[in-house]
Amino acid sequence: MNFFLHPLRCLIFSLFLFPFLLHADGSDSDLDAANRAYTSGNYDESAKLFQQIIDTRGFSAPLCFDLANAEVKAGHTGAALLNYERARYLAPTDGDIDHNLQLARKQARLDPNSYRWWQIALLSINWMVWLVIMAACLLLIFLAIIGTSYAPAISSATKIPLRLLKNIFRTILFAGIPLSLLMGYVELSTVGFNDRIQGVIVAPKEATLRLSPFDSSDSIGTIPEGELVTVEDRHNDYLRIEARDHHFGWIAQKDIEPVIAGSFDVKPSD
Amino acid sequence: MKPLLSAWVVVALFAFNTTSCLAAATLTQKIDPPEVNVGDQAIVTITVQNGSVDNLNLPQVDGLDVVGTQSATNITFSNGSLSRAMSINFAVAPSRAGTFTIPAFDIHTQEGDVLHVKAMKLHVVDNGASASTNTAPAQTVPAPAPSSSPSANTPFNSNGPVVMPPANANGAGNSSDTTTGNTINVPVESDGRPAKVFMVITPDTTDAYVGQAITLRITWYIRQDVDYQQDSLPTIKGSDFLMNDLSYRPHEDEQAIMNEVYRCESWVTSISAPKSGDFPLLMERDSYWIKSIVNNNNLDPFFGGFFNRRPNLAHESISSNQLTIHVHALPTEGRPVNFTGAIGHLKVTGTAEPTSVDVGDPVTLHFSVSGEGNFNYVRCPTLASDPAWKTYVPTFKIDYLGDESHTQAVKTFDQSVIPLKNGNVPLPTASFSYFDPATKQYVTVPIALPEITVTGTPIPLASTAPGSGTNSTTASTTPTAEFLPNRLEIGSPQLSLTPVYRQPWFWAIQGGLVFLTLLGAIFLFLRSRSTPDNDRAARVSRQRSLQQEEDAMAEAVRRDDAVAFFIAARHAVQLELGTQWNLRPEAITLAEIRDRDPHLAEVLEPFFAQADEVIYSGHASSGLDLAQWEHRVRTELLQPQPA
Repeated sequence: MNFFLHPLRCLIFSLFLFPFLLHADGSDSDLDAANRAYTSGNYDESAKLFQQIIDTRGFSAPLCFDLANAEVKAGHTGAALLNYERARYLAPTDGDIDHNLQLARKQARLDPNSYRWWQIALLSINWMVWLVIMAACLLLIFLAIIGTSYAPAISSATKIPLRLLKNIFRTILFAGIPLSLLMGYVELSTVGFNDRIQGVIVAPKEATLRLSPFDSSDSIGTIPEGELVTVEDRHNDYLRIEARDHHFGWIAQKDIEPVIAGSFDVKPSD
Repeated sequence: MKPLLSAWVVVALFAFNTTSCLAAATLTQKIDPPEVNVGDQAIVTITVQNGSVDNLNLPQVDGLDVVGTQSATNITFSNGSLSRAMSINFAVAPSRAGTFTIPAFDIHTQEGDVLHVKAMKLHVVDNGASASTNTAPAQTVPAPAPSSSPSANTPFNSNGPVVMPPANANGAGNSSDTTTGNTINVPVESDGRPAKVFMVITPDTTDAYVGQAITLRITWYIRQDVDYQQDSLPTIKGSDFLMNDLSYRPHEDEQAIMNEVYRCESWVTSISAPKSGDFPLLMERDSYWIKSIVNNNNLDPFFGGFFNRRPNLAHESISSNQLTIHVHALPTEGRPVNFTGAIGHLKVTGTAEPTSVDVGDPVTLHFSVSGEGNFNYVRCPTLASDPAWKTYVPTFKIDYLGDESHTQAVKTFDQSVIPLKNGNVPLPTASFSYFDPATKQYVTVPIALPEITVTGTPIPLASTAPGSGTNSTTASTTPTAEFLPNRLEIGSPQLSLTPVYRQPWFWAIQGGLVFLTLLGAIFLFLRSRSTPDNDRAARVSRQRSLQQEEDAMAEAVRRDDAVAFFIAARHAVQLELGTQWNLRPEAITLAEIRDRDPHLAEVLEPFFAQADEVIYSGHASSGLDLAQWEHRVRTELLQPQPA
C-alpha cells in the first residue's frame, strides 16, 4: 500500500491509466459507430446501436437523448418520446432535451408537457444531495444536543468559554430543527411528485383503452402513440392508466413502456 | 303512577324510533328496457333504501350519454318504522349500436354505508334508420294531436286528489270552479266544501315525441284555514317521464276557488318521455298538515297536558290530476346522420378566430345553438372529416333563459382545430341537425365558417438539419421546427433508472439519524431532570459569593482598606472567570488566564500585579486610588467576557 502513498509513483500510475479513462469517457468506438450511422441518415441502424450501448452500459441522459433523436428520425414516435422522457428524467434541467421532446410531441400532435419552474427546481437536486443535506442537518442537531449536555466538559477541554459554547449549540438547534423540517417536507414533496409510475404508449399509432382488463372488454377510447400516461394499477397483462385528460382505462402492457425501466414489475399499490 | 307510565312510553318510543332509523341501507338497480334501438333511450334506476346519497353520477361510457336525471325521495312510516327510499333515474341515450356495459361502482351514502352497484349491460340494435343523408326530404310523421288543456283529459284520477281523511273524500265529487276565469276541477269533500289540499298539473301539450321537452306547470292548492307543514316536493309517479329538478322556492300567491281562499304554490318545469307510447302522467306529493287539536278534559297535571294538547299531524300522499301523454317515436326515415336527439325550434350560428394562424396553432370555433327545445340533447355541430385539420373535443356552456322549465337557452360550444397545411385553408364544413315538432321534419342547418389563412411550413416528421444548442426555457415554450443534434459523449451511465429513494438504505440512513436525534433529545431531557438542582445550587452559591465579594469591595473602599479591597476584588474576578470556564475559583491564576485567553490576561495582568503587591506587602502605596480600581474591576473585569 505504501506504493500509492508516494506522489510521484501515483502520478506515473495515473499516466498509465489515462488512456483507459479516455476510452471510458468519450472516444468510444460503439458511440462513434452509432453517430456515424445517424449522420449518414441510417437512423434505424443508429437507433439499434445506441440501444446496444444502453443495454450493455446502462442509461445516461446523453445516450437516451441520442437514441431518441435516432428514433424520431426513423419515424418511431413512441420509442422516440419514451427515450426523450427517460433523458428528461435523468437530466430534468437540460433544455436541449426538453426542446427536442416538445418538438417530437408537437409532430405527434400531442400537447406540450414541459416541466414548470418549480418542478425543475425540485428535480434539479440530486437524490444524493438530498441525502447529504438531510444527514448533515440531523447530524448537526444530534451533535448540538450532545454538546449541550456536555458543554461544561467541552469548555474545560477546549478552553472555549462556556457561554460562547452554549450559544453556538443553541444557534445550531434553533436553526437546524426548522431547517430539517423544511428540507424533509421538500424532500417528501419531491418524492411524491417523482413517484408516479409513468409510461409512454409505444403501440403503433394508438393503443386501445378498455373498460376492464380483458381482451374481450369494450373499448372506451384510444390513446395516441407517444403519449405519456400515469399507471395506477395492474391486472395480469393489463395496466390501468390515467391519461393526461384524466380519462381512466385499461391498456395492454405490450402497448406501453415504462419511463423507469422495470417499474411496471412492481404493483403501484405495493 | 300516570306520570311514570308516560315517561316510560316516551323512552320506549324513542328507543323504537332510533332502532328504526338505524336500519342498514340497501340498494336495488335496474335498466329498462335492456335492449333499445339507436336513438331511443333506456332508464337506469338506482334506488337506495334507508340511505341518502349526494351527487350520484353514472360512470362514463363511450357512446352512451346520460341525457337526463331525476331523483325522488319517498319516506314512509308504517307499522311503527320509518323507511326512506331515494330513487335516481338516469336516461341514457346510445349513439351507436352495440353492447354497452355500465361498469360496477360503489355508492357512499351520507350515513357511511357503501353500496355496490353491479355492472349493467344495454344492448343497442341498429334499426337501419341512420343510413339516409342529411339532405333527405322532410318526412311526414304521425301528427300529434293539438295541444289540449288538462281538463280535456281525465280530470282527476279516481282516487285523488286525496284529502284527509281519505274516507271523507270517497263520497266526494268534483266541482268545476270558474272564479278565477280558468276552469279548474276541484275535488270536494263530503261536506260540500272544496278539498283542503289538491294539486293540478298542466302540460303545454299532451302529444310529443320521444325526448321532446314538455313544459309542465304544477300548482299546489292549500285551503287557507288548513294549518300545514311541508317538507317534500312533487314527484312524478312511475318512471315513464323524466323531469327537471324543481326549485325549492315555488312561486306563491292566493286564489279564490268556490268561495274559499287558497294559497297556491306553483312550479314550471319540463318533462320528457324516453320511449314512445301512451303513458299516464300523475304527480304526487307527501303532505303533513294539522287536522285538529284534541281536547281532553281529563288532563294530567304534568305529562297529560303536553301529550293531549299536541296537534294531530296527518300525513298523506296527495296525487294530482292524471293525464295521458301520447309519446310518438321520432321518424326513422330521413334522420340525418348527425342527429343527436335535439328537438325544438333552434337557431345555429358559427364563427372562427383567429382567421390567420401558423401551421400547428389552434383556431377556435364558436358555435351557438339558441331557441326553444330539449337542450340536454343539443350537441356540438359536427365537422366533416378533413385531412387539412385536426379537431379536438369541444367544450360547452349553457345559459338558460325564460322560466324554470329550461326549455329556452343558449348553448355555446368552443372547439379547437389545428391546421396541418398552409395556404388559404377552408375550415371543415359544419352542420347541425334537429327535429322540428311543428313542421314534423328533420332540419339540417349548414354553418358558414370563414376561410383561414395559414402561414409557415408543415412540420416534417424527421428533420435532417439539426440546429445548434439553445436556451432551455425559451426552447421548451416555443420549439422551432428543428431537432437539436446528438450529444457526442456517453455521460455517466447507470444500470438502473430506479431512483435512489426507492432503496431502503436511503430512508434507513435518514430514519436512523432522526432516531438518533430523538434519542439525544430524550437523553438531554432526562439528564437535565436528573441534575438540575446541583447546577442551580452551584450557580446560586457562586452568585451569592460574588455579591458578597462586591459588597466587601465597596466596604473596603469606604474604609480605605486596600488589602481587604484587593482580596475581595481578586476573589470576585476568580469567581466570575471560574463560572465562565467551569473551573474552581482557586484554579484561576494569571497563568491559567494567559493559557486560555491571552488578550484577557493582558487586561488582568496589572490588576493581579497590584493585588499581589498590596496583599503581600500588607499596605498600599500612597497614590493608590481605590475608588478608581473599584470602578475598573466592576466595569471591565466583572463583566461577561466577549466571545
